[in-house]
Amino acid sequence: MLLTVVSMAKENQIVLLQLPDDPTVSFRILFNIGSQNDPPGKEGLAALTAALIAEGSTKQHSYEEVLALFYPMAADVSEQVDKEMTVFSGRTHKDNLDEFYALFREILIEPAFTEADFNRVRKDYLNYVETTLRYSQDEELGKESLYEFIFTGTPYEHNEEGYVKSLNSITLDDVREFYGTYYTRENVVIGLGGGFDRGLADKVKNDFGGLPVRKAARLPAPQPRAIEGLQVKIIEKDAQSTAISFGFPIDVERGSRDYYALAIATSWLGEHRSSFSHLYQVIREARGLNYGDYAYIEHFPNGYARNFPPANVARRQQIFQIWIRPVPNEARVFAFRAALRELQKLVENGMSEADFELTRKFLKGYTLHYAPTTMMKLGYALDDRFYGIEKGHWAMFSKMLDELTLKDVNTALKKHLNYENIKVVFITPDADGLKKALVNNAPSPITYPSEKPAGVLEEDKEISVYPLRVMPENVTIVKVEEVFED
Amino acid sequence: MRLFLLSWAVVVLAGAATAGLAAERFFPYAYENYMLENGFKSILIPMKGSGLVAYYTVVRTGSRDEWEPGKSGFAHFFEHMMFRGTEKYPASEYNRLVAEMGAEANAFTSDDLTCYYMVIPTAKLEAAMGLESDRFRNLSYEEAPFRTEAGAVYGEYRKNLSSPMRLANETLLNTAFDQHTYKHTTMGFEQDIKDMPNMYEYSKTFFSRYYRPESCVLLIVGDFDPAAAKPMIERYYGGWKPGYVPSKVTAEPPQQKERNVEVTFDGRTLPLVWIAYKGDAFDPSDKMVVSAYLLADLAFGENSEIFKKLAIREQKVESIDGDFGFSRDPKLYDVYSRVKDENDIAYVIDEIDKTAEKFKTTPVGREELENTKKRSRYGYLMSLDTPDRVGSMLARIVTLTGGIETVDQLYATMADLTPEDIQAAAQKYLRKERRTVLVLKGAKS
Repeated sequence: MLLTVVSMAKENQIVLLQLPDDPTVSFRILFNIGSQNDPPGKEGLAALTAALIAEGSTKQHSYEEVLALFYPMAADVSEQVDKEMTVFSGRTHKDNLDEFYALFREILIEPAFTEADFNRVRKDYLNYVETTLRYSQDEELGKESLYEFIFTGTPYEHNEEGYVKSLNSITLDDVREFYGTYYTRENVVIGLGGGFDRGLADKVKNDFGGLPVRKAARLPAPQPRAIEGLQVKIIEKDAQSTAISFGFPIDVERGSRDYYALAIATSWLGEHRSSFSHLYQVIREARGLNYGDYAYIEHFPNGYARNFPPANVARRQQIFQIWIRPVPNEARVFAFRAALRELQKLVENGMSEADFELTRKFLKGYTLHYAPTTMMKLGYALDDRFYGIEKGHWAMFSKMLDELTLKDVNTALKKHLNYENIKVVFITPDADGLKKALVNNAPSPITYPSEKPAGVLEEDKEISVYPLRVMPENVTIVKVEEVFED
Repeated sequence: MRLFLLSWAVVVLAGAATAGLAAERFFPYAYENYMLENGFKSILIPMKGSGLVAYYTVVRTGSRDEWEPGKSGFAHFFEHMMFRGTEKYPASEYNRLVAEMGAEANAFTSDDLTCYYMVIPTAKLEAAMGLESDRFRNLSYEEAPFRTEAGAVYGEYRKNLSSPMRLANETLLNTAFDQHTYKHTTMGFEQDIKDMPNMYEYSKTFFSRYYRPESCVLLIVGDFDPAAAKPMIERYYGGWKPGYVPSKVTAEPPQQKERNVEVTFDGRTLPLVWIAYKGDAFDPSDKMVVSAYLLADLAFGENSEIFKKLAIREQKVESIDGDFGFSRDPKLYDVYSRVKDENDIAYVIDEIDKTAEKFKTTPVGREELENTKKRSRYGYLMSLDTPDRVGSMLARIVTLTGGIETVDQLYATMADLTPEDIQAAAQKYLRKERRTVLVLKGAKS
């Protein structure tokens, strides 16, 4: 199909990406509300509200009827809730556009919020937190716990799905009130993409323009506490391998020069799910310790299940993060040391000229893969609006790849990253043993089942005694069954 | 919230064709088959506008072909080795060149195939072909990196250990099959994975048997000119020597009675009920097979009576779904459900049985059937929106039959299906003696 953008309109609250040859139409309706708006004790409310809209009845149709109507179109509505935004998306073939939109509109504007739907959706959330997240997704558990650890005491602290106790305390009235308060004309941004005509755009604008007007002050951006030294949280769990995530807040926002400078360095250090990642080369490729090792300057949910990040998880406060996929328990300290040491080398020495040039070439092509579909392009256009990027993020990225120098990158690295004031989360058994090893800065030598080049073995000697300065009072141990309880 | 619940299930084709189009021409893009003398087939599908090309090399070998004892998981392991370089492009050089291209490059292995893909800017097509053809023809690696990679594969197995679906899938296959290689998962038996570092010599045999022009198909999809691509294909792949050795897969004898297995996940999880009926090999013109494909959605999909009853009205289950997928040899038609309360497991199985009986005795409504066909067609068409997605959708169909004509055949067969055809499929497949019932519970509740 020929996808040529004939018009890209960005009015105040509507983003249109018109592609006349696209046989489908994509809808992305964003609300500037998220889990940061959850009242204390009601963590998970924003997510539950959105789920109840997307997976519940409307005033005209029961949820069963909604499913039946969508069924022949192979369509649905999906929701995504992050700290600052909630987005509903749906896509249909042009053949079914009228029926699809009529239902899509009804779902968002006329939700019924029935008791039965509420019970079903809340139970799903409780199961997710109590069983799936705690017991069968160690990697995601590590990442979510890291955010909780770094953003303690701020509205970013809790995971979007909420806590066991708070989910249990949420009532249907809470949901109704949340919807009434936040699903307003001020908060909505409409995204339309694909083969639609102007008439549809006007209709959508008109429909969502009818949401109630209720001005609410925007929450201030969260102020995470400064981190002093290496602070460790160990989530104790009987497991054959150890998941590790670590990081710290950064004051860099998409759209700024320093953001792109850090994006280049982070891509080299740890491009997600790519063997281009240097950490991947050090920990997996040379040593075979795990399945992959990556670095981030923006939130990337469900990284275990996707190669590229979703759009519309934009945040005003991001963290720098390294994700070490599960390693054998006996290699947990070694792997952590190896990653931290690479971070130190990068911050202190900067990128080399050769790596910088290679990464620029890599990203020139690789950035084309982030938003291949109309739906993703639309998502990024909505994020551009959030970050105030006039020219568009990907156009900026391309420009910055031409403009930024090695010096710019290395200066930004020193300015924004560090390797000493860090929070780290381990999901692992024998928490006391780990604490002891960390606090005592005990050497963590490693052996391999296969022969390794001399260079690797030499480097291992340095890694295994890489200094860890962990104060005993900076180590917290939590049992997995207590995580996300309240 | 979307739960990535069924990521362990066998990957199947999503559905296919458009109501208005003539049934024999459903696939929406023009394409060209191009065959070399050595048996290497390329399928060229231009899609203008994106500036990208998806380059998919499909090896029609997967964990199904691991017929020798102790070699389970080898196809997947070998996929890793394909990134370990050649004399011309050692691994580090290969990685550097792929990086310079800005390629999104990876690979995946399943029961019936191993697939290597790169998505690249159009200008890099020849560079990609140079690299890809070289490793398929000239792969070479030493024993030490081979052993290291075996460690990474064990790491991949380990990262999956915390998933109850891994345990369920492994146990189910092992119980349902006695003879056929579908008995093991694509990852393989753990003891075989542990032994992989010692199989350096065997890896060369594996390469020489299966990585041959007759057993590979190249899909090029996207913004490129087929006329310019053809001489390139001849140049880079023309000298590749044929010599494919088919694997000696033993046919599974017919199952005579129901099998049951219960397994405990060492952690907390919702109980899982997984019922797997023995199915048939994929054949796009076989009404029974295509009927079964629709039957899964009709009987157990999100618009089915059982879903509405158990998931929405009674709220006994978190999810229930059916997946009667396509495979090279007869495999399994799966029905699975995450049950909220252990005490309801028997009830859920009973409801599944009642559903099966109903479909055996009563033809589905004509409108219901037509809606399901429509859903399948729109679902398929909407999924073909980028070169990469077209490549990944077709890779699986290509491995089954060697070509994509199959897509049109499949949807032509589907268009003619009647409620009686669906009923006949229910009568043939939804039989207790053909099935394995797995129940998984968590150790902690």
